[in-house]
Amino acid sequence: MADLLMFHGRECPHCHRMMPLVEKLENETGVRFEKREVWHDEANQDLMRSHQDVFKAKCGGQLRVPAFLNPGTKDALCGEVEYEKLKDWALKQS
Amino acid sequence: MVGMKKRYWRCFVCNDIHSGIAPPELCPTCKVLNAYVEISAAEARQILGLCDDTTLTPGEFRSAIERFAAANEFQVNPDRERVDLLLKGIFENEGRYGLKFCPCRVRTKNWDEDLRIVCPCHFTIHETYKGIKDGECWCGLFVRRT
Repeated sequence: MADLLMFHGRECPHCHRMMPLVEKLENETGVRFEKREVWHDEANQDLMRSHQDVFKAKCGGQLRVPAFLNPGTKDALCGEVEYEKLKDWALKQS
Repeated sequence: MVGMKKRYWRCFVCNDIHSGIAPPELCPTCKVLNAYVEISAAEARQILGLCDDTTLTPGEFRSAIERFAAANEFQVNPDRERVDLLLKGIFENEGRYGLKFCPCRVRTKNWDEDLRIVCPCHFTIHETYKGIKDGECWCGLFVRRT
């Protein structure tokens, strides 16, 4: 199973809504996301910035959260999405 | 406008500072015509530094964006809980980084790019708002008025 990253913000409402869906997905499928909070942790910001080319292509030219990344394949998903879309994306990575 | 370097201008009557590619013909504060003269960024900083440098409180900022929205086709999100969360993030970001950065995006550390995520951002051109009936800015602080 691929190591996936989830970038999120503590005060981001979209991230708050996605977090339970991510946890549900983890419980249902065994997929694991390494969760990186970006506004209160400079190292996590730097990590997200290091993948900015991938994210900008998927996220309207900006570094938006929530954002999901497969660092291996450089595939990313951005924003608040339906559970099935998140699941499809995550399972495609495995 | 992209790529055009903004400069600084000072009203010789009331010391209002304008940043732009050209000065306003009419000073919005003292209403004097042709009152602006170009100054350096250092002078602009000095003059602005003489002003009261206290920051807005979250309540004052909320009032400011409500007045801003009232003249437009959008409004501050009626979901007060959501707005409270966003304002908390916006003010934490201002405290840490000096500007009211959007809590739902991340700085690239490119100054021009980062100015585009200062709240309120130019969200009316974003795909989450433009042409969408119930459009909103990326974080949802502003929503189209229905």
